[in-house]
Amino acid sequence: MKEHDLRYTLMTDAPYLNEWLLQEGVMHWFPFSLGKEMEDAAACWIGFSKYSCSLTATIDGIPVGIGTLFLMPYRKVAHHCLFKLIVDKKHRNQGIGTSLVKNLKNLAKNYFRQELMHIEVFEDNPLIKILHAQGFKEFVRQERYVKENGKYYARILLEAFL
Amino acid sequence: MTLTTRFTQETEGHLLKQWLQQGDTLRWFPMFDEREIDDAVRIWIGYAKYQASLTAEYDGVPCGMANLNLQPYQKMAHQCLLSIIVDEEHRGKGVGTLLLRDLEKLAKEKFRIELLHLEVYKGNPAVNLYRRSGYVEFGCQTRFIKDKGEYIGKIFMQKPL
Repeated sequence: MKEHDLRYTLMTDAPYLNEWLLQEGVMHWFPFSLGKEMEDAAACWIGFSKYSCSLTATIDGIPVGIGTLFLMPYRKVAHHCLFKLIVDKKHRNQGIGTSLVKNLKNLAKNYFRQELMHIEVFEDNPLIKILHAQGFKEFVRQERYVKENGKYYARILLEAFL
Repeated sequence: MTLTTRFTQETEGHLLKQWLQQGDTLRWFPMFDEREIDDAVRIWIGYAKYQASLTAEYDGVPCGMANLNLQPYQKMAHQCLLSIIVDEEHRGKGVGTLLLRDLEKLAKEKFRIELLHLEVYKGNPAVNLYRRSGYVEFGCQTRFIKDKGEYIGKIFMQKPL
Protein backbone atom coordinates (compact mmCIF):
# COMPACT_ATOMS: atom_id res chain seq x y z
CA MET A 1 0.00 0.00 0.00
CA LYS A 2 1.48 3.35 -1.05
CA GLU A 3 1.73 6.24 1.38
CA HIS A 4 -0.38 9.29 0.67
CA ASP A 5 0.58 12.94 1.00
CA LEU A 6 -1.58 15.93 1.84
CA ARG A 7 -1.59 19.40 0.30
CA TYR A 8 -4.03 22.28 -0.01
CA THR A 9 -6.76 21.68 -2.58
CA LEU A 10 -6.37 23.45 -5.90
CA MET A 11 -9.13 24.60 -8.24
CA THR A 12 -7.55 22.23 -10.76
CA ASP A 13 -8.59 19.27 -8.54
CA ALA A 14 -12.18 19.82 -9.70
CA PRO A 15 -12.14 17.08 -12.39
CA TYR A 16 -11.11 14.51 -9.74
CA LEU A 17 -13.94 15.55 -7.43
CA ASN A 18 -16.41 15.23 -10.31
CA GLU A 19 -14.99 11.83 -11.24
CA TRP A 20 -15.32 10.47 -7.67
CA LEU A 21 -18.87 11.79 -7.31
CA LEU A 22 -19.80 9.90 -10.47
CA GLN A 23 -18.40 6.58 -9.21
CA GLU A 24 -21.03 3.88 -8.71
CA GLY A 25 -23.16 4.35 -5.59
CA VAL A 26 -21.39 7.50 -4.40
CA MET A 27 -24.20 9.94 -5.21
CA HIS A 28 -26.46 8.11 -2.74
CA TRP A 29 -24.46 9.64 0.12
CA PHE A 30 -24.83 13.21 -1.11
CA PRO A 31 -27.92 15.45 -1.28
CA PHE A 32 -27.58 16.28 -4.94
CA SER A 33 -28.45 14.21 -7.99
CA LEU A 34 -26.71 13.67 -11.30
CA GLY A 35 -26.54 16.60 -13.73
CA LYS A 36 -26.77 20.27 -12.93
CA GLU A 37 -27.32 19.70 -9.20
CA MET A 38 -24.04 17.81 -8.96
CA GLU A 39 -22.14 20.25 -11.16
CA ASP A 40 -23.28 23.25 -9.08
CA ALA A 41 -22.54 21.52 -5.77
CA ALA A 42 -19.08 20.39 -6.91
CA ALA A 43 -18.26 23.90 -8.15
CA CYS A 44 -19.31 25.38 -4.78
CA TRP A 45 -17.28 22.71 -2.92
CA ILE A 46 -14.06 23.23 -4.87
CA GLY A 47 -14.60 27.00 -4.66
CA PHE A 48 -13.71 26.88 -0.94
CA SER A 49 -10.16 25.92 -1.92
CA LYS A 50 -9.44 29.62 -2.50
CA TYR A 51 -9.62 30.16 1.28
CA SER A 52 -6.99 27.42 1.91
CA CYS A 53 -9.56 25.52 3.98
CA SER A 54 -9.51 22.36 1.89
CA LEU A 55 -7.04 19.47 1.81
CA THR A 56 -6.33 17.03 -0.99
CA ALA A 57 -4.75 13.63 -0.39
CA THR A 58 -2.47 12.45 -3.19
CA ILE A 59 -0.62 9.26 -4.07
CA ASP A 60 2.29 9.72 -6.45
CA GLY A 61 1.01 13.24 -7.01
CA ILE A 62 -2.44 12.09 -8.12
CA PRO A 63 -5.45 13.27 -6.04
CA VAL A 64 -7.26 10.43 -4.22
CA GLY A 65 -9.42 12.32 -1.73
CA ILE A 66 -10.60 15.77 -0.67
CA GLY A 67 -11.77 17.14 2.68
CA THR A 68 -13.10 20.69 2.93
CA LEU A 69 -14.14 23.08 5.69
CA PHE A 70 -17.24 25.06 4.74
CA LEU A 71 -16.48 28.21 6.73
CA MET A 72 -19.52 30.09 8.04
CA PRO A 73 -20.25 33.54 6.57
CA TYR A 74 -21.67 35.15 9.74
CA ARG A 75 -19.67 36.31 12.76
CA LYS A 76 -21.82 34.77 15.53
CA VAL A 77 -21.40 31.33 13.96
CA ALA A 78 -17.82 31.76 12.75
CA HIS A 79 -16.47 29.57 15.59
CA HIS A 80 -17.68 26.39 13.92
CA CYS A 81 -17.99 24.94 10.46
CA LEU A 82 -19.45 22.16 8.42
CA PHE A 83 -17.13 19.88 6.50
CA LYS A 84 -17.37 17.49 3.59
CA LEU A 85 -15.21 14.57 2.61
CA ILE A 86 -14.78 12.22 -0.32
CA VAL A 87 -12.24 9.49 -1.13
CA ASP A 88 -11.72 7.90 -4.53
CA LYS A 89 -13.44 4.49 -4.44
CA LYS A 90 -10.24 2.84 -5.68
CA HIS A 91 -8.39 4.08 -2.57
CA ARG A 92 -10.84 3.39 0.21
CA ASN A 93 -9.88 1.49 3.39
CA GLN A 94 -6.32 2.75 3.24
CA GLY A 95 -6.63 5.32 6.03
CA ILE A 96 -7.05 8.28 3.69
CA GLY A 97 -10.45 9.31 5.11
CA THR A 98 -9.09 9.12 8.67
CA SER A 99 -6.03 11.14 7.70
CA LEU A 100 -8.17 13.82 6.02
CA VAL A 101 -10.47 14.10 9.08
CA LYS A 102 -7.51 14.34 11.50
CA ASN A 103 -5.74 16.97 9.43
CA LEU A 104 -8.91 18.97 8.80
CA LYS A 105 -9.43 19.09 12.58
CA ASN A 106 -5.90 20.45 12.95
CA LEU A 107 -6.36 22.98 10.18
CA ALA A 108 -9.71 24.09 11.62
CA LYS A 109 -8.37 24.50 15.14
CA ASN A 110 -4.94 25.94 14.54
CA TYR A 111 -5.41 28.03 11.44
CA PHE A 112 -9.09 29.04 11.49
CA ARG A 113 -9.55 29.07 15.31
CA GLN A 114 -12.57 26.82 15.04
CA GLU A 115 -14.00 25.45 18.28
CA LEU A 116 -16.09 22.71 16.75
CA MET A 117 -16.67 20.96 13.46
CA HIS A 118 -19.81 19.24 12.28
CA ILE A 119 -20.91 17.15 9.37
CA GLU A 120 -24.18 16.00 7.83
CA VAL A 121 -24.33 12.40 6.62
CA PHE A 122 -27.13 10.09 5.56
CA GLU A 123 -27.90 6.90 7.45
CA ASP A 124 -25.61 3.90 6.95
CA ASN A 125 -22.86 6.01 5.38
CA PRO A 126 -19.61 4.06 5.99
CA LEU A 127 -17.96 7.38 6.88
CA ILE A 128 -19.86 7.34 10.20
CA LYS A 129 -17.48 4.68 11.55
CA ILE A 130 -14.45 6.89 10.83
CA LEU A 131 -16.20 9.89 12.38
CA HIS A 132 -16.98 8.04 15.60
CA ALA A 133 -13.36 6.88 15.80
CA GLN A 134 -12.26 10.51 15.46
CA GLY A 135 -14.45 11.70 18.33
CA PHE A 136 -17.57 12.88 16.50
CA LYS A 137 -20.84 12.49 18.36
CA GLU A 138 -24.34 12.45 16.92
CA PHE A 139 -26.56 15.36 18.00
CA VAL A 140 -29.38 15.17 15.47
CA ARG A 141 -31.07 12.35 13.65
CA GLN A 142 -33.87 13.44 11.35
CA GLU A 143 -35.90 10.63 9.82
CA ARG A 144 -37.32 10.93 6.29
CA TYR A 145 -34.94 13.75 5.35
CA VAL A 146 -33.94 12.19 2.03
CA LYS A 147 -36.37 10.64 -0.44
CA GLU A 148 -34.69 8.66 -3.17
CA ASN A 149 -36.60 6.40 -5.55
CA GLY A 150 -39.58 6.44 -3.19
CA LYS A 151 -37.51 5.36 -0.16
CA TYR A 152 -36.79 7.58 2.83
CA TYR A 153 -33.46 7.92 4.61
CA ALA A 154 -32.47 9.77 7.78
CA ARG A 155 -29.86 12.48 8.02
CA ILE A 156 -27.48 12.42 10.93
CA LEU A 157 -25.55 15.44 12.22
CA LEU A 158 -22.34 14.79 14.13
CA GLU A 159 -19.99 17.23 15.81
CA ALA A 160 -16.62 17.22 17.54
CA PHE A 161 -15.17 19.85 19.86
CA LEU A 162 -11.64 20.84 18.90
CA MET B 1 -59.41 44.48 12.83
CA THR B 2 -58.45 42.01 10.15
CA LEU B 3 -55.44 39.76 9.96
CA THR B 4 -54.64 38.22 6.58
CA THR B 5 -51.71 36.78 4.62
CA ARG B 6 -50.66 37.21 1.00
CA PHE B 7 -47.61 36.35 -1.09
CA THR B 8 -44.53 38.39 -0.24
CA GLN B 9 -43.39 40.84 -2.92
CA GLU B 10 -39.76 40.99 -4.02
CA THR B 11 -39.82 44.70 -3.13
CA GLU B 12 -40.48 44.06 0.59
CA GLY B 13 -36.91 43.43 1.70
CA HIS B 14 -36.89 46.77 3.54
CA LEU B 15 -39.68 45.55 5.88
CA LEU B 16 -37.76 42.40 6.72
CA LYS B 17 -34.63 44.45 7.38
CA GLN B 18 -36.56 46.86 9.58
CA TRP B 19 -38.07 44.03 11.69
CA LEU B 20 -34.70 42.30 12.03
CA GLN B 21 -33.20 45.49 13.44
CA GLN B 22 -35.90 46.01 16.12
CA GLY B 23 -34.93 45.68 19.81
CA ASP B 24 -33.21 42.38 20.56
CA THR B 25 -34.69 40.54 17.54
CA LEU B 26 -31.27 39.86 16.06
CA ARG B 27 -30.47 37.78 19.14
CA TRP B 28 -32.63 35.06 17.59
CA PHE B 29 -30.94 35.11 14.19
CA PRO B 30 -27.35 34.25 13.16
CA MET B 31 -26.65 37.68 11.65
CA PHE B 32 -24.53 40.20 13.54
CA ASP B 33 -24.40 43.51 11.66
CA GLU B 34 -26.04 45.39 8.80
CA ARG B 35 -23.89 43.75 6.13
CA GLU B 36 -24.93 40.29 7.33
CA ILE B 37 -28.57 41.39 7.61
CA ASP B 38 -28.53 42.67 4.02
CA ASP B 39 -27.11 39.34 2.85
CA ALA B 40 -29.75 37.33 4.74
CA VAL B 41 -32.60 39.60 3.53
CA ARG B 42 -31.43 39.15 -0.08
CA ILE B 43 -31.57 35.37 0.29
CA TRP B 44 -34.95 35.37 2.09
CA ILE B 45 -36.64 37.77 -0.36
CA GLY B 46 -35.22 35.70 -3.23
CA TYR B 47 -37.84 33.03 -2.42
CA ALA B 48 -40.66 35.51 -3.11
CA LYS B 49 -40.32 34.95 -6.86
CA TYR B 50 -41.30 31.30 -6.30
CA GLN B 51 -44.31 32.40 -4.21
CA ALA B 52 -42.76 30.53 -1.29
CA SER B 53 -42.98 33.46 1.12
CA LEU B 54 -46.00 35.00 2.87
CA THR B 55 -46.52 38.47 4.34
CA ALA B 56 -49.07 39.00 7.10
CA GLU B 57 -51.12 42.20 7.17
CA TYR B 58 -52.90 43.67 10.16
CA ASP B 59 -55.61 45.99 8.88
CA GLY B 60 -53.73 46.19 5.60
CA VAL B 61 -50.36 46.99 7.21
CA PRO B 62 -47.53 44.44 6.77
CA CYS B 63 -46.61 42.98 10.17
CA GLY B 64 -44.72 39.73 9.60
CA MET B 65 -43.28 37.27 7.12
CA ALA B 66 -42.83 33.53 6.88
CA ASN B 67 -40.77 31.74 4.29
CA LEU B 68 -40.24 28.27 2.86
CA ASN B 69 -36.51 27.86 2.21
CA LEU B 70 -37.13 25.51 -0.70
CA GLN B 71 -34.47 22.84 -1.11
CA PRO B 72 -32.37 23.10 -4.26
CA TYR B 73 -32.07 19.31 -4.57
CA GLN B 74 -34.67 16.87 -5.85
CA LYS B 75 -33.95 14.19 -3.21
CA MET B 76 -34.84 16.66 -0.49
CA ALA B 77 -37.65 18.57 -2.19
CA HIS B 78 -40.27 16.82 -0.01
CA GLN B 79 -39.05 18.63 3.10
CA CYS B 80 -38.26 22.22 3.86
CA LEU B 81 -36.83 24.56 6.48
CA LEU B 82 -39.01 27.55 7.37
CA SER B 83 -38.20 31.03 8.67
CA ILE B 84 -40.56 33.45 10.37
CA ILE B 85 -40.49 36.97 11.78
CA VAL B 86 -43.16 39.21 13.31
CA ASP B 87 -42.97 42.99 13.69
CA GLU B 88 -42.26 43.76 17.37
CA GLU B 89 -45.32 46.02 17.56
CA HIS B 90 -47.64 43.21 16.47
CA ARG B 91 -46.42 40.35 18.61
CA GLY B 92 -48.94 38.49 20.79
CA LYS B 93 -51.81 39.13 18.34
CA GLY B 94 -51.86 35.76 16.58
CA VAL B 95 -49.73 36.91 13.63
CA GLY B 96 -47.21 34.06 14.04
CA THR B 97 -49.93 31.46 14.42
CA LEU B 98 -51.68 32.62 11.24
CA LEU B 99 -48.41 32.81 9.28
CA LEU B 100 -47.49 29.27 10.31
CA ARG B 101 -50.95 27.92 9.48
CA ASP B 102 -51.02 29.52 6.03
CA LEU B 103 -47.40 28.62 5.31
CA GLU B 104 -48.11 24.97 6.12
CA LYS B 105 -51.09 25.03 3.76
CA LEU B 106 -48.94 26.60 1.03
CA ALA B 107 -46.16 24.05 1.64
CA LYS B 108 -48.50 21.09 1.43
CA GLU B 109 -50.73 22.20 -1.43
CA LYS B 110 -48.40 24.10 -3.75
CA PHE B 111 -45.01 22.50 -3.06
CA ARG B 112 -46.10 19.02 -1.90
CA ILE B 113 -43.94 19.32 1.18
CA GLU B 114 -44.32 16.36 3.54
CA LEU B 115 -42.16 17.59 6.40
CA LEU B 116 -41.57 21.13 7.66
CA HIS B 117 -38.74 21.91 10.06
CA LEU B 118 -37.27 24.93 11.78
CA GLU B 119 -34.34 26.00 13.89
CA VAL B 120 -34.83 28.15 16.98
CA TYR B 121 -32.30 29.38 19.53
CA LYS B 122 -32.62 28.44 23.19
CA GLY B 123 -34.53 31.05 25.15
CA ASN B 124 -36.47 32.38 22.14
CA PRO B 125 -40.09 32.81 23.32
CA ALA B 126 -41.24 31.81 19.82
CA VAL B 127 -40.60 28.19 20.81
CA ASN B 128 -44.01 28.25 22.56
CA LEU B 129 -45.70 29.20 19.29
CA TYR B 130 -43.95 26.33 17.52
CA ARG B 131 -44.95 23.81 20.21
CA ARG B 132 -48.56 25.04 20.14
CA SER B 133 -48.53 24.68 16.37
CA GLY B 134 -47.45 21.02 16.57
CA TYR B 135 -43.68 21.24 16.06
CA VAL B 136 -41.67 18.69 18.01
CA GLU B 137 -38.02 18.98 19.05
CA PHE B 138 -35.67 16.35 17.61
CA GLY B 139 -32.19 17.64 18.42
CA CYS B 140 -30.06 20.46 19.75
CA GLN B 141 -26.65 21.89 18.86
CA THR B 142 -25.48 23.36 22.13
CA ARG B 143 -22.81 25.82 20.97
CA PHE B 144 -24.28 27.05 17.70
CA ILE B 145 -24.19 30.78 18.48
CA LYS B 146 -21.34 32.62 20.18
CA ASP B 147 -22.45 36.12 21.03
CA LYS B 148 -20.31 38.33 23.29
CA GLY B 149 -18.59 35.23 24.65
CA GLU B 150 -21.87 33.48 25.47
CA TYR B 151 -22.96 30.27 23.72
CA ILE B 152 -26.57 29.74 22.69
CA GLY B 153 -27.91 26.38 21.55
CA LYS B 154 -29.92 25.76 18.41
CA ILE B 155 -33.00 23.58 18.77
CA PHE B 156 -34.26 21.56 15.78
CA MET B 157 -38.05 21.14 15.50
CA GLN B 158 -40.24 19.53 12.87
CA LYS B 159 -43.81 18.77 11.92
CA PRO B 160 -45.04 16.22 9.37
CA LEU B 161 -47.77 17.73 7.15
